[in-house]
Amino acid sequence: MAMSKRRRAIAFRRAQYALLIVIVLLVAVFADWGDIRRSFFDVDTAVAMFPTVITTALVNTIVYSTFGFAIGLTLGLLLALMKLSPVAPWRWIATIYIEFFRGVPALLVFVALSVAVPLAFGLKFDINSTAGLALGIVGSAYIAETIRAGIKAVPKGQIEAARSLGMSQGRTLLTVTIPQAFRIVLPPLTNELIMLIKDSSLISVVGLTALDYELTKFGRETLSRSPSLTPLLVAGLCYLIITLPLGQLSRYLERRTGGRKIDTPESTGV
Amino acid sequence: MVSDVAVEVTGLKKSFGSLEVLKGIDVSVRRGDVVCIIGPSGSGKSTLLRCVNLLEEPSGGKIVVNGVELTDPDVDIDLARTSIGMVFQSFNLFSHMSVLNNLTVAQRKVLGRSPAEAQQVALRNLERVGLSEKVNAMPAQLSGGQQQRVAIARALSMDPSVMLFDEPTSALDPELVGDVLGVMRQLADEGMTMLVVTHEMQFAREVADRVLFMDGGYVVEEGPAAQVIGEPQHERTQSFLARVLDPTHQGPST
Repeated sequence: MAMSKRRRAIAFRRAQYALLIVIVLLVAVFADWGDIRRSFFDVDTAVAMFPTVITTALVNTIVYSTFGFAIGLTLGLLLALMKLSPVAPWRWIATIYIEFFRGVPALLVFVALSVAVPLAFGLKFDINSTAGLALGIVGSAYIAETIRAGIKAVPKGQIEAARSLGMSQGRTLLTVTIPQAFRIVLPPLTNELIMLIKDSSLISVVGLTALDYELTKFGRETLSRSPSLTPLLVAGLCYLIITLPLGQLSRYLERRTGGRKIDTPESTGV
Repeated sequence: MVSDVAVEVTGLKKSFGSLEVLKGIDVSVRRGDVVCIIGPSGSGKSTLLRCVNLLEEPSGGKIVVNGVELTDPDVDIDLARTSIGMVFQSFNLFSHMSVLNNLTVAQRKVLGRSPAEAQQVALRNLERVGLSEKVNAMPAQLSGGQQQRVAIARALSMDPSVMLFDEPTSALDPELVGDVLGVMRQLADEGMTMLVVTHEMQFAREVADRVLFMDGGYVVEEGPAAQVIGEPQHERTQSFLARVLDPTHQGPST
């Protein structure tokens, strides 16, 4: 007896639920829960990590990421404007920069900044500057592309309205285009901030003193003196303390500013 | 130079790539006059209007507004535009600003008015378009007709001497068209110089001092509203008006 299309769809959905239940059961039965608990949920090790994991590691992660994002956003906006410039050489420079730093591992940039640049130019950056610059240089390549797309997504009519009111090109950019572009790119920009926060762990390639440890380095250091993998879990959860509220904040801002919905019927424009 | 001519367009040509949209247009609008531009889509009427404040750069010809030649490369176009208000088909209110900010931002940043003065001007113009109670609303919270009236108030807040309207009611639901046309009629009665691209023949007939019929990049016919709409001389004007005024009794256009 052949089933109808709708019956087949229902049966298929039920089969998926059944498969899930089987997988969960297999994991529950065959996993060694005692070992897992000892490896990841060692309460003593976890407690011993406090308060340093917050006061040093979490704070450092936030500081490095903040520097990095501030530099990345500024540089990214500049690069986006260069890429949209009518002056061709600006576009070329921005394109080369973006393609280069988007295609090169962030780790290389960290090494270059901490080793090669001091050797070549006799400059010595402190840890905050190294982390901020490296994260900013790499982040700006991604952020520039995002902002450029955002600027291009601002309806042309908004710019024409500003110009028709006598605003100069620069004034229009600052008053109308950039604020609206940021509203459009808020969700992807949050993604880039989160990636940047995670990349801040790369600073550990630079020789760090205990006071400069960020979350990943701190977790690994504690791990080397610990019988269990608990430090990794604690460090991981600390990342979530930063990233989960960021996602919420982004969604809140998006709602508050009306999201990317554009209310003018651009498509009807002649 | 004091002249009773507000807008003087001579020999205006405009091409987009190889497509010539305007093929030599001469228009002259006297101060206080309302001139309506009608014509089929693609005839170049919107392009003509957008050339008057140089949103489109003319390919040839001369545009003089209030005695200032806008096509002169040395002219301060931003300054010139402050006296030319423009209303768009798609309203184009700044979607990230409240109604009040939409009306005050250019006053403050372009004309250099104080926030208090800008707000006073804004409130006066919102009242003119009957939307005083929407002063703190965001554009997305308004109907199309309300948005367009706010857009008119925004343009008026710059105290322009000429107003350009680019199909201001074409994107509106039919029952909202009347509100916008009412505001425009009131503006005309107050003596504003207006250049209006429109498909509202009733409005053109009643409010316009003169009507221009455009087709294929030329002004085909122009004259008093009653004459161009009531007794069109040119065959293309006649067939266009027949299709617009009585669309249900026409065969497909050729």
